[in-house]
Amino acid sequence: MVGVAQLVERWLVEPDVAGSSPVVHPNLNNQVGEVWVVESIVSTAVITQPDVERREQLVADVPWVTIVWNDPVNLQSYVAYVFRTYFGFSRAEAERRMLLVHNEGKAVVATGAREQMERHVEAMHDFGLWATLTRSDS
Amino acid sequence: MIPFMADGAAVTCRFTTGESTALADLAQQLIDLLSERAPDAAGSVLFAQLGIGGESSGPLDPALARLLPDAYRGDVDAASEHRQLTEQSLVERKIANASAVIASLDSAILERTELRLEPSEVQSWLRTLTDLRLALAARLQIEDDGDSGIGDDEALMVYDWLGYLQGSLIEVIE
Repeated sequence: MVGVAQLVERWLVEPDVAGSSPVVHPNLNNQVGEVWVVESIVSTAVITQPDVERREQLVADVPWVTIVWNDPVNLQSYVAYVFRTYFGFSRAEAERRMLLVHNEGKAVVATGAREQMERHVEAMHDFGLWATLTRSDS
Repeated sequence: MIPFMADGAAVTCRFTTGESTALADLAQQLIDLLSERAPDAAGSVLFAQLGIGGESSGPLDPALARLLPDAYRGDVDAASEHRQLTEQSLVERKIANASAVIASLDSAILERTELRLEPSEVQSWLRTLTDLRLALAARLQIEDDGDSGIGDDEALMVYDWLGYLQGSLIEVIE
């Protein structure tokens, strides 16, 4: 089996190949792809009247977004599973956002207060997904 | 191995002893790797000596960097502040998940039974299989879609096998 040093010390030690190797079933054709996407993330900020006060309030409250980025490791099925179970998306919506990550390189998966987005990003890092947060107008 | 199968809310899987031992070994490697970022680790002392600032800056090791990424892109200060506040607990949760994987493998080996995972254990397995694949991918220099990896055949086989396991587990719980 692979020696401890291989993960930790960057291949400085030869693997000990003695002993049994695991049976391998390569199944990695469905990894997440690459590109870029910008969603409509401020659709809630509808201003119907020239209400200056409200408009200023909205500027101050520009929401933050959680973005999940493409990586070459995570399986599409896993990314869709995480989107569905963590964010509560329907299967179709989870699939759609997963494909955005795959095809466009990233997808917005949540919008809201900064602290909330920080919690989402942390949860994504728990799952091993590559996520960041940013202001929605940046 | 026989792929994962559903058994009520639980899932089961039958590994050979060699497979179980190999996976437990990998999970332990992951714990060792993450421990570099745990409190009072020798690595933190080294970082401090180098004046890098310990837990306020990201890991230099590419595998650790992928496991513990910045929460902000292009904003070093915000990323650093967030890391200081959250990295330790993230590391601890990842170590706890890997420990749970080892525990379930150990009990299956000891009792000579099939592996049986309750829903909470499944969550640990999903995350640890992912973390292992991320760490291995960094070592194998798999950086873009389509990269097949640079390294010895056994490491590449392990990476593929972990992907197969992960895919099988998701298929069962979905």
